[in-house]
Amino acid sequence: MTSQSSIFVTLSSTAVRSGTILLLPTLGEIFAERAGILNLGIEGMMIIGALFGFIAGFVTKNPYIGFVVGMIAGGLSALIHAFVSITLRGNQIVSGLALTIFGLGITNFFGQPWINRKFTIPVKDYAIPGLSKIPYVGQIFFHQDLFVYFSYVLMIAMWFMLFKTKLGVHLRAVGENARASDAMGVNVNRNRYFWTFFGGLLAGGGGAYLTLVYAPFWLDGITAGRGWIALALVIFAMWNPLYAFIGAYLFGGIDALQFQLQASGTTIPSSLLNMQPYLLTLIVVVAATIVLRKRHIGTPRELGEPYDREER
Amino acid sequence: MISFKGINPLAAYKALLIGAFGSTYTFSETIVAATPLILIATGLVLVFNMKFWNIGAYGQYIMGAIFSSYFALNVSPSVSPWILLPVMCVASIIGGAIWALIPAFMKLVWEVNEVISTLLLNYIALYILKYLMYGPWRNPTSHGFPLSKMFAANAQLPRIWPHTRVHLGIVFAIIIVFLMYFIIKKTRFGYETRVIGENSTAARYAGISIFRNTMLAMAISGGIAGLAGMAQVSGVIHLLQLEINPNYGYTAIIVAWLASLNPIAVLLVSILLGGIEAGGSQIQMMMHVPYGIVGVIESSILFALLGGEIFKTFRVKFRRRG
Repeated sequence: MTSQSSIFVTLSSTAVRSGTILLLPTLGEIFAERAGILNLGIEGMMIIGALFGFIAGFVTKNPYIGFVVGMIAGGLSALIHAFVSITLRGNQIVSGLALTIFGLGITNFFGQPWINRKFTIPVKDYAIPGLSKIPYVGQIFFHQDLFVYFSYVLMIAMWFMLFKTKLGVHLRAVGENARASDAMGVNVNRNRYFWTFFGGLLAGGGGAYLTLVYAPFWLDGITAGRGWIALALVIFAMWNPLYAFIGAYLFGGIDALQFQLQASGTTIPSSLLNMQPYLLTLIVVVAATIVLRKRHIGTPRELGEPYDREER
Repeated sequence: MISFKGINPLAAYKALLIGAFGSTYTFSETIVAATPLILIATGLVLVFNMKFWNIGAYGQYIMGAIFSSYFALNVSPSVSPWILLPVMCVASIIGGAIWALIPAFMKLVWEVNEVISTLLLNYIALYILKYLMYGPWRNPTSHGFPLSKMFAANAQLPRIWPHTRVHLGIVFAIIIVFLMYFIIKKTRFGYETRVIGENSTAARYAGISIFRNTMLAMAISGGIAGLAGMAQVSGVIHLLQLEINPNYGYTAIIVAWLASLNPIAVLLVSILLGGIEAGGSQIQMMMHVPYGIVGVIESSILFALLGGEIFKTFRVKFRRRG
């Protein structure tokens, strides 16, 4: 293998890991939005998962326990949003923002003693027999850690569930027309609660993956807007779990590339390199919105609208 | 929550209160923190009333600070402040308005979700500021710190309360609050924005131009946020730096919402939250309670308010059921 192609492979496999941080929250938000709940708290849930996952991993010396704790922390924080926006029928946009402010505040508060601590236990990569032998693709996608494989399986399982099972029909119905699905005997609020919680689990998982594997240390505000990028990727994926990886790995690639450029001592100022993912997300969202409009693929119809059984 | 840290929580809350309203000086710091909140939140009230979710005050504030600093750093110190300060004000308003018109245009023409576009523009503005502060605008004698040169006296907004940092910006803020109240309640434009917020389809049938009104409202909202950025660099810190507290852009969202989108109420709520901000930095210094507590308190108030709305809106129903 020439050195140029090995750089490409290293870069791409870093892109997949960086993309996984975004893929998990994007998948979670796709399901929450499909069920009609817009959660702008992804950034907050991610950073809560990032801190508490990091602490749990640090204390138990086990990244897998850390990841699970991060997921649970993210899920629990999502329940605040669920309670305010489903049970109390509050404004979802403001509630989600409040969740982000809450997450940034609470992690600043509890994270102080952990700043700059490093999580030194390496997470093992596993080669998948057979698949890992495929040139390039095998090296990039099938020489990864268990978390990355978890995201592959999850993505396919979620796609299957959403479009091929009764559970998925209920989930979509609740977000498209809550009243009709209620009449059909689907419990609207229970569905919405569950999928909001589920979205929190995955957002927390994405955050925990960041602080346990990709950048294994704690810094205040370490998620740096990834939650907002994930929110944009939901539109880019057209609310389909199967397309979520395209956007996620694209942005993982930019992240990996600018990291690589900085490491190689480029003269481009780092602030301008750091800006690229946000600039590109903006361009991509505009492009995706234009395409979606032409093809008449819209947001779930009742996204962001609370459901009140008694209202007529 | 504070008790987790082994600090008596009551003592901490007391310190927070004293840090906010305890003495003349701490109260003046509350006013200093309230100034940008009043300005930004007043602008947000206008667009939130039309259900345009401008989450980008953070970036608009930064752009206002950058645009006005350009003149502060490049115009000769001998120019009269009567010329320079108005120029800086106008520049900041233009800077903030440009940054607000981009997402407004994207929304109106392509239906791009404004929450996402304004948020992404916040990060882009932040990195532009970082670039300037680590690059061309850095003061060569700052020992590598991301600070600009000090503004000359003619680029500083006058302080209006001796021995404190309270500056002319608070006067702007109060004027703008009443102006906004008048605009929303008494003018045709204000009426049209409210109709668009209530029912945009009906507004369109009634011949109200959604494009023109939204662009104008966003230009005003962003322009005021930009002005707040100018007031901060020119009135409080007298230089441009990374730490210009753009988080006021997010806190102002809380203010606007707590004030039920009423400009007059914004005035009072800003002083309350300004107090929490000022008190928060006080207890951070004195009791080593991390500043993050401010975000936790503010978001908790907001959750409580959102949850409380149901009792306001659905009161009749509850009675019928009971």
